[in-house]
Amino acid sequence: MIEELLSLLATGRPHTLGSLAETLGVSADLLAQMLADLERAGYVSVVEVQCGGQAGGYCAGCPSAGLCGLLQGKRLWTLTERGRRAAGEQPTSLTKGS
Amino acid sequence: MPTSQVASTSLAAGAVSSATRSITIALTGQPNVGKSTVFNMLTGLNQHVGNWPGKTVERREGTLEHHGRLVHIVDLPGAYCLTAASPEETITRDYVIRERPDVVMAVINAASLERNLYLVAELLALPVPLVLGLNMMDVAKQEGLDVEPAVLEAAIGIPVIPMVAARGEGVHELLDAALKVAQEGPAREPNRPEIRPDHRQVLAHLQELIAPFVPAPYPQDWVALKLLEGDAEITALMREHLPPEVWEQVHDVLHEHEDAIIAVASGRYDWIRRMTRAAVKRPRAGRITRTQRIDSVVTHPFLGLLLLAAVLAGIFGLTYALGGPMQRWVDEHVVHALASWLSVALAGGPAWLSGLVIDGILGGVGTMLTFLPILAIFFASMAFLEDVGYMARAAYVMDRFMHAIGLHGKSFMPLFLGFGCNVPAIMGSRIIESPRARLITILLAPLVPCAARLAVLTTLAQVFFPEHAAIVTWLLTGLPLVVLALLGVVTNKLLLGGEPTAFIMEMPLYHQPHWGTIGIAVWQRILSFLRKAGTVILSVSMIVWLLTVLPTGEIETSYMGRIGLWLEPVGRLMGLGWKPLVAILTSFVAKENALATLGVLYNVGESAGALGQALQAELSPASGLAFLVAEMLFIPCVSTLAVIKQETGSWKWVGVNVAMLTAISLVGGIAAYHLASMVL
Repeated sequence: MIEELLSLLATGRPHTLGSLAETLGVSADLLAQMLADLERAGYVSVVEVQCGGQAGGYCAGCPSAGLCGLLQGKRLWTLTERGRRAAGEQPTSLTKGS
Repeated sequence: MPTSQVASTSLAAGAVSSATRSITIALTGQPNVGKSTVFNMLTGLNQHVGNWPGKTVERREGTLEHHGRLVHIVDLPGAYCLTAASPEETITRDYVIRERPDVVMAVINAASLERNLYLVAELLALPVPLVLGLNMMDVAKQEGLDVEPAVLEAAIGIPVIPMVAARGEGVHELLDAALKVAQEGPAREPNRPEIRPDHRQVLAHLQELIAPFVPAPYPQDWVALKLLEGDAEITALMREHLPPEVWEQVHDVLHEHEDAIIAVASGRYDWIRRMTRAAVKRPRAGRITRTQRIDSVVTHPFLGLLLLAAVLAGIFGLTYALGGPMQRWVDEHVVHALASWLSVALAGGPAWLSGLVIDGILGGVGTMLTFLPILAIFFASMAFLEDVGYMARAAYVMDRFMHAIGLHGKSFMPLFLGFGCNVPAIMGSRIIESPRARLITILLAPLVPCAARLAVLTTLAQVFFPEHAAIVTWLLTGLPLVVLALLGVVTNKLLLGGEPTAFIMEMPLYHQPHWGTIGIAVWQRILSFLRKAGTVILSVSMIVWLLTVLPTGEIETSYMGRIGLWLEPVGRLMGLGWKPLVAILTSFVAKENALATLGVLYNVGESAGALGQALQAELSPASGLAFLVAEMLFIPCVSTLAVIKQETGSWKWVGVNVAMLTAISLVGGIAAYHLASMVL
């Protein structure tokens, strides 16, 4: 199942957490756990959109500062180079899910 | 079941005879599963709270007497897994391995069974018997999940007790089951997760290598598994205990199988899937399913884009339909009335004072403020969409579009973060390893449409095209994206050569709008806008006014007029006079200044309506469109430039970005003017 996740990430299409969980046949919670595992092992990297906090006082004068990007507070995961390599090396028979 | 409690841990410990050995239970579970409720219910007031040695994590212990046996419960900190990535995880696994409690009692959330079973999968690898408290059965039922404890028990091979700890249901049954296991031992060998078959031989080989050197009390098989997982703590431990020649061999095995962690995790996830497949019936129409059903349309590559276009059209239509009349009312009854009163009040004073107040301040800030109703409705629409969970989908749909046209390298992922505000896009470029790709991404980021730019476009479109403001705003919203796409495709093909990079995005659940939250968001944005009007826009308006009256008192011969003459040849390329060009330049300080400066330069002091008439009289529709295009593509706000400086560490790149966007803005304006002249 985790190999399938790596393979899906390596296909180069964007996914939402929900749609990917549905594809893998797992809950979004478990998918988040899988991503946490992969992140810890250096296969995926995660970005959390935190405009206001990171930008410090830069945005003080912006009337749209509260909006801070449509993805404020959301997390995005993407494959690292290690993840890309590993996705290519996983046994194909094991990436079909069982 | 009655449970009498002893007075304190120390007293209780003293009261236990050697014939009636106390039983130690380690209570564990992931955060927010009701573990503390179970602990409090079992131990009552007989608790001792301290810290784990050398950690700032709270350690809670308690005692109770049960059927004449003293039971000592250690409440381990909440942990999602046992990887030693956090103090909580380290404490949990170290305690179980080193202290060897008689039994581990794991409380898991039935409504989030898959994720909770991950911790169980890891606990099963430790050398202590386990019982499960399947808590929150009521929540699982509410969410349409039918979890069968007996089936789960049979599948895992350990006692599973259904519970609703919040109501006290099942807590004592869990204690009974734990004590039975502690006294009699496990009824059978549990069904443990196994490493993926293609790595079993490697695991066995590793175990064989390290077996004579694994220090007590660590289990050999667990240590071997953790080595394959790349566990830093266990690797350091074994490096210390292994002879150098054995360590060399172990190191070679680990190096050769550096992706073995995938095989270990794969075994756990397959085990979880088998267990849940046996014990859980899926919801028929739960909340998640509803969200996914809506998402199948909202985030669809084609339907999602159509919907986004319709939503934007709806926002702009509503904004002008409701805000237009309100704007005219504010213009006539507030700003115009204030200007008339000020004219009378300042009539006896010096001419420069009435000029400053009426033409400078009211002409600039006042003109801007008449558009507050339009902005308030725009802000409210955005806040509404954000609150119901649509905004993240809008960004996702836009990214799918960018992906489809070839902007799919890792270099372009940060741009996706910039929908709504450029600052996170520039900061997000930190994920790009290549310095060149990172720099190009940073320089392109200001072309991602931001909410502030859209707000300014919303006001300016009403001034230039009062009859067609909604359609003009709607069309121009996508303009920076089109330019970004053109530049992006070229740079991606010629300079970056990025391979498609996928990502997974977290989406909020859809929910009913919370009007209080929306109201607060709108109020905060209006306040922020008013603060800006009272500081930056006010200052720029006064400076612009001063430059239009000094030194001669006549605008054509003023300092501003002289600057204007210098700018005029550039303006002519777009069918613009020098005044609109100056307005664009002042928007460098704050986008809103464009409108305020127009108000001052056209000397319309008391009426935004008069500004519209003056501009329409001077500029053709093609020129008006060129102005809006140039403004939309112009240099970003000061905050964005400051972040570019921070991220590139150089003013040079800020200068390059300013020059690049000025050129793009100019080319865009000229192209819009000539193309529009052919059709308008």
